[in-house]
Amino acid sequence: MGAAPARLFQLRGRRGVSSQEGLGAPLLRVSSSPGCLLRWCPCCFCLLAPQILEDYLLVEDVPLLEEMAEEDEELDLYNEMTFGLDRDSTEEDAVKTPVPLERSPDLAETEEEPQADEGQPPPEEQGEPQGEGGMEPDAEQVGSEEEEEQLGAEEEHEDEPNDLGDPAVMRAVQSKPTLESQDSAVLDSRIGSVWAEFGKEDMLAMEPMVWGSCPSSIPPHPVLEDKAILQVLETPPPAANVALDFLSSPVQRGYAGSPRLNRPDFRGTSPKSFSQRFLRQSTGYAPPTRFRPLSPTVGTPPRPLAMHFGPMSPSLDPSPFFSPSASSQFNFSMPSHLTQLHPQHQRILTQRQQQGGTVQSVSPKKLWSPKADPYAGLMTCKEKDWVVKVEMIQLQSETMDDDYYYQTYYHRLERKQAEEELMGGRNKQEPPKLVTPFIQKVETYNSVVRIAGSLGQVAVSTCYSPRRAIDAVHHALVEEAAGSHRLRALHRIERLFLQLLEVEEMQRKVSLAPEEQEQKTQEAGRIYQALKIRACSSEEEAEDEFLQVLCVRKGKKLTARLLPHLASEQAEKILLTITHHLPFLMKKDALDESLPLLYSPLNEVVGRMTFSRLIQVLQEITRPLPESDEFPLAMALKNQFGITLLYSLLSRGEGLLSSETPLEPHGRDFETWTDTVFLVARELSQVPKASLVEPLFLPSNLLSLFCRYLDKQTVHHLEAKMECSPLPSEAAMPC
Amino acid sequence: MNYMPGTASLIQDIDKKHLVLLRDGRTLIGFLRSIDQFANLVLHQTVERIHVGKKYGDIPRGIFVVRGENVVLLGEIDLEKESDTPLQQVSIEEILEEQRLELQAKQESEKLKVQALKERGLAVPRADTLDEY
Repeated sequence: MGAAPARLFQLRGRRGVSSQEGLGAPLLRVSSSPGCLLRWCPCCFCLLAPQILEDYLLVEDVPLLEEMAEEDEELDLYNEMTFGLDRDSTEEDAVKTPVPLERSPDLAETEEEPQADEGQPPPEEQGEPQGEGGMEPDAEQVGSEEEEEQLGAEEEHEDEPNDLGDPAVMRAVQSKPTLESQDSAVLDSRIGSVWAEFGKEDMLAMEPMVWGSCPSSIPPHPVLEDKAILQVLETPPPAANVALDFLSSPVQRGYAGSPRLNRPDFRGTSPKSFSQRFLRQSTGYAPPTRFRPLSPTVGTPPRPLAMHFGPMSPSLDPSPFFSPSASSQFNFSMPSHLTQLHPQHQRILTQRQQQGGTVQSVSPKKLWSPKADPYAGLMTCKEKDWVVKVEMIQLQSETMDDDYYYQTYYHRLERKQAEEELMGGRNKQEPPKLVTPFIQKVETYNSVVRIAGSLGQVAVSTCYSPRRAIDAVHHALVEEAAGSHRLRALHRIERLFLQLLEVEEMQRKVSLAPEEQEQKTQEAGRIYQALKIRACSSEEEAEDEFLQVLCVRKGKKLTARLLPHLASEQAEKILLTITHHLPFLMKKDALDESLPLLYSPLNEVVGRMTFSRLIQVLQEITRPLPESDEFPLAMALKNQFGITLLYSLLSRGEGLLSSETPLEPHGRDFETWTDTVFLVARELSQVPKASLVEPLFLPSNLLSLFCRYLDKQTVHHLEAKMECSPLPSEAAMPC
Repeated sequence: MNYMPGTASLIQDIDKKHLVLLRDGRTLIGFLRSIDQFANLVLHQTVERIHVGKKYGDIPRGIFVVRGENVVLLGEIDLEKESDTPLQQVSIEEILEEQRLELQAKQESEKLKVQALKERGLAVPRADTLDEY
């Protein structure tokens, strides 16, 4: 492998960035087996200029490597332009290219030390002797490798065949064998050898915090059981706000060393070339914008000494990288059409960024895993950023359709903050500024290409219709054409629900101009008409369309949500219909038990009703049913919805009567009212307590209502039945 | 809290061990290495776990790339608690055998049920004819 950075799969699918204009996919750069650099053009997947490298590069190949490095720079530039991403990558590249030559003298020096160490028995701190057989031969191999490194080329070279290599696995640009390229079993046996190459002094030469924060850098090996080493490693990372780059070898992975630029000493002390390289990559990294290493854990190590380490899950780097109001250290230059998240979201991100500097080690010690996950970091930070970016784009929308949960979350947050401001005013809450989201609308594209003079269309594949073969348009099924009653009802419900959602959307807009209000009520009225509520007799109940709608849970939901938007006349009509057909509905609802959905909005309606209308509704409940002797009333008492509705109606009546507002009764209203009350009282006392269902809500003025008309004893009796709270002062009641 | 508050993202889950339930009923356990915006997953050191009763067996599968739409759910596995299970691990052959037996038993009981229904003149409820939800 050459000096070119080990940049792997940078697959940028078109789909994810469909809303962005002018984004193309960057060139794919895949480095597969060691010694082969392949590049694919993403659109046609043809190989571009495959370059096969010898395993052992000679001096003459250096210019070739530099060429490759240049190409990589171009690619990075392209990527950057495309995605507006990280300038750090170019920094990295810029840093990297002069590195190889510069490093070789370093290498020569530093290689001496571990070389010298290897021959000796390991220092006592290393505990167990390097008993593995693989050690010695590897040590020699390192020696031979070193010479090649001095030639200024870095690549990996091994005696073992690298065909075991997993092409998808990350490769570090380094001189040491990349362990991932090997079979995991081989990997494990070799990790020890690599590890052994670290002289103890090298480890200590590095600042402890470098290693201390490097949980994943410890390969599973008996060496690990050495307490001293573990101690060194277990020093918690002092600064959690660091950026990580997982580009490097397993041993070095998870290096949480600070990416600050003030670490020049590492170049000298780092024993391994790849670690140096890694450091440089890290230093090139922009601080505030990266992910923290996520859980370098090993789940099932093949070795019996499976140490279980909890997943290391440090919270992400608290740096917002999509906040347009970010500070200057912010390296992202987002394309302009990608701005505007929800203002609250932006605020949170900015806050985080500001707080980012002050946050120290976040990850609790117990979560930190000293065991290396050699495969961690396959997904680089850039790729993660990219995915997040795509996700954030998807969040931008003006309607609730795109991401309901995101929108609701922020609405609630805003509301809560507004409340807090009103109440306390303690926090300096920024008033939520209405930042109109600026999304670049996808320009209408011509999905159908017609060549002039030709017959038919060319099949154009787009992101919306990837396999569009013919100009097929989906025609909505005409209702009548559908099959059974039930299916028809379901279709209607779905259609009406969509209309309802539009009405609610209109409602949700902050300021409704009067004409919009009018429009809204019109729409709501339209839905109401579509429901086809009409009077029907008991025989036709099964056929009635509205009742069919009501038999379905979603239909009840539809009605419940529609009620607040309807005119009172219409709402009362619905209430009337429901009470008229209450037995039927209750029977149908036996399985589903979704009638209580309707209670709340109906309660609202009842609360606004006039006395006469109330009497009308009550009459519906108290009228005798033709088939059975039972009153709907009696049935209602056994149904939770029914009894609650009944109580609600009575409560309203009582409220009206005791409120001293002129009731404008019609005709026999009062008599009907008293009759009803008596009837209810009688039924209540007659029905056994066991079959009396507990209502959803028990109004408080029911007892006073009964007190008005009934004797004390009966009231007591009813009180016990209904399990109301006793009246405050019964003596005062005119019983 | 991540930097995408109010939403769910798999970014946090990278490099952690996960259990993934697929739409075809398979259970995969592996390290989540990579994702994309469709929640396509790259699982590493994947193991397909078959559960039968109180036993389970693991079939090592290597690397999986799962198309996002086929995932029912996925969840992180706590490595510390992973071994703390009342279930008993058995060999692959055994669990496959158990699975076969279970499938057989189910088919037989289904056959009996259909038979019983037929004798009573009842129709067998088939999923495709149900228009209830």
